Amino acid sequence: MNATSLPSSNETRHGSLACVGMGMTLGSHLTPLSRDHIEQADVVFAALSDHIVELWLQRMNPDVRSLQPYYAEGKSRLKTYREWVDLIMTEVRAGKRVCAVFYGHPGIFAWSPHKAIEIARAEGFHATMEPGISAEDCLYADLGLDPGRFGCQHFEASQLLFYEHRLNPASYVVLWQAALVGDWSLTRFHTGSPYRQVLVDRLSEDYPLDHEVIIYHGATLPIEQPHIRRVKLRDLPETELSSQETVVLPPAIALKPNLAMRERLAELDKETGFA
Amino acid sequence: MADTIEWLETIGKNAKLRHAAAEELVHTLAQAGASDALKVAVASGDRSALSVEFGHKPMKDEHSTTGPGHEEEPDHDGDKHVPTKPHKPDHDRPSRDR
Repeated sequence: MNATSLPSSNETRHGSLACVGMGMTLGSHLTPLSRDHIEQADVVFAALSDHIVELWLQRMNPDVRSLQPYYAEGKSRLKTYREWVDLIMTEVRAGKRVCAVFYGHPGIFAWSPHKAIEIARAEGFHATMEPGISAEDCLYADLGLDPGRFGCQHFEASQLLFYEHRLNPASYVVLWQAALVGDWSLTRFHTGSPYRQVLVDRLSEDYPLDHEVIIYHGATLPIEQPHIRRVKLRDLPETELSSQETVVLPPAIALKPNLAMRERLAELDKETGFA
Repeated sequence: MADTIEWLETIGKNAKLRHAAAEELVHTLAQAGASDALKVAVASGDRSALSVEFGHKPMKDEHSTTGPGHEEEPDHDGDKHVPTKPHKPDHDRPSRDR
């Protein structure tokens, strides 16, 4: 599109985009608002994790187009995601009301919804994101964790290796996409034991090797239960992981009081009459 | 009579059914004439029984680009990328869609 033909910032063009979350469990998590976006759309694109959930989605709109065929072994997923954005934007530019449906929450660990919304807005189309119940939400419920209790860090497992992140072993640490840890190429859907060993070597800088870690996968169908396994950190390389499983490290050390801050706050309390 | 997809949706949004014991749910499904595949899947706790009805179609579920790392390395994929910035909500824009 020629930039000079773009509408002014206060003009919205025909065609719109809603990126919505399907939630994690069929029937349980789809919000009324997201469902309405799906039902009212001219075109629905689907990036879901489960074939049966996709069949359910097809009941809500007669024009559901799966994005699954654009994945391929050996093909960069970034190329796949760009193709998705192109497909979505082609329909938006054609003046259609477009809904793109992603499993869980559309804004979490998902590149194309953010990119499509960014482009759509830059071109003057109305574009919005509706949150969905994410794997993270289910994890807190199913494992009985409260991220506010000790704090909680989240990392994509590969990013933890690619960058010098600082882990806090006094908090929960959640590692996403551990099954393909260390894949810089974006062409693989699974790495393997030697890659998980590198992850364990990194984690062992902050955790003892006998620290118990949790491997978690929430329920996708409402007739399933969450899958929860516990293994020692040292055994993680030899533990098979599916792409849907998440690794959780519970705290390994106690929270350390910040005495300087406590003293400073006590002084403030005195000054303000709270002490 | 509800089909299996309709039953799954019903179970997913019904607190009693969602958390019912497997035997109890199988009994409810049997009385309502649900498919054998669904009853077997519920009884066994193994969804693979549903492949009889829907086939087996593995799905890819990766949607991210390994965090922001790739976008901070413009030459990695042979394309020019810049780190993403949170975009401003467009709630204030007039919309003909609303």
